[in-house]
Amino acid sequence: MSMEAKVSLDGLYKVSEDVVARTIEDELIIVPLVAGIGDLEDELFTLNETGKAIWDRLDGKKTLRDILRELSAEFEAPAGEIEQDLIGLVEELVKRRILIAAA
Amino acid sequence: MGKRTRPEFSLVKGSEHSLSGPALVQLLGAVLDKGAAVRFQAKGFSMSPFIKNKDVVTISPLQGKRPGLGHIIAFVHKETDGLCIHRIVRVKDGFYVTKGDNISETAECVPRENILGLLTRVERTGKEVFLGLGPERLVIAFLGRRGLLLPLLLPVWKLLRAIVKRSPS
Repeated sequence: MSMEAKVSLDGLYKVSEDVVARTIEDELIIVPLVAGIGDLEDELFTLNETGKAIWDRLDGKKTLRDILRELSAEFEAPAGEIEQDLIGLVEELVKRRILIAAA
Repeated sequence: MGKRTRPEFSLVKGSEHSLSGPALVQLLGAVLDKGAAVRFQAKGFSMSPFIKNKDVVTISPLQGKRPGLGHIIAFVHKETDGLCIHRIVRVKDGFYVTKGDNISETAECVPRENILGLLTRVERTGKEVFLGLGPERLVIAFLGRRGLLLPLLLPVWKLLRAIVKRSPS
């Protein structure tokens, strides 16, 4: 069963409890815990520096619109492009249950 | 203001990711601290033939369990701070004396606090390997402690390989 992630700019998202994330040697490494196992062999994810700038802001308190505003101030890129990348990344993380919607 | 690159979310197979020893210890410890087991590719030959280079192993958290004679444990190596997976060949005065099944060097004393978890599963080319994890582990530990494992194992291993090669497919 595929899970279609519907992500809204006004939504709040946070990292699931069933995830271990560590910055190791300047790289963010994400390991989802599925059925009580962290699979470093087949389910290890990494984010680049820009992805990490998004990840660090996903605290369940800032909406994606807030995050978009901050990223637009920080990075030299068209707002439309940043929005597309932000939504794209959050959708992927939600689909993989690494991020969950915060109430 | 920084020049921006696209956010990249990549799925990387652990075997393709070059985590250093201490980095692997850090990640493994973080997962085990959450009460979850960790599955990853083992590197090295010190536990051969029971764990071979590139076998996929699962380490489970101790969660109050006391490792015993013959169990295989993952621990932090006191000199390198890297990850080590060896068999317990003796328990003495609160220390666990460990040794690789395939090494004849002196055993290493591991304090309880350096133990990360217990090896609970070995997979080789997609199939689970059971040998060395059942009751036979006591015999392996006994022979390993006395330095008899390799001298006894090698001829048996060669004989078995010869029989397998000769048998019709």
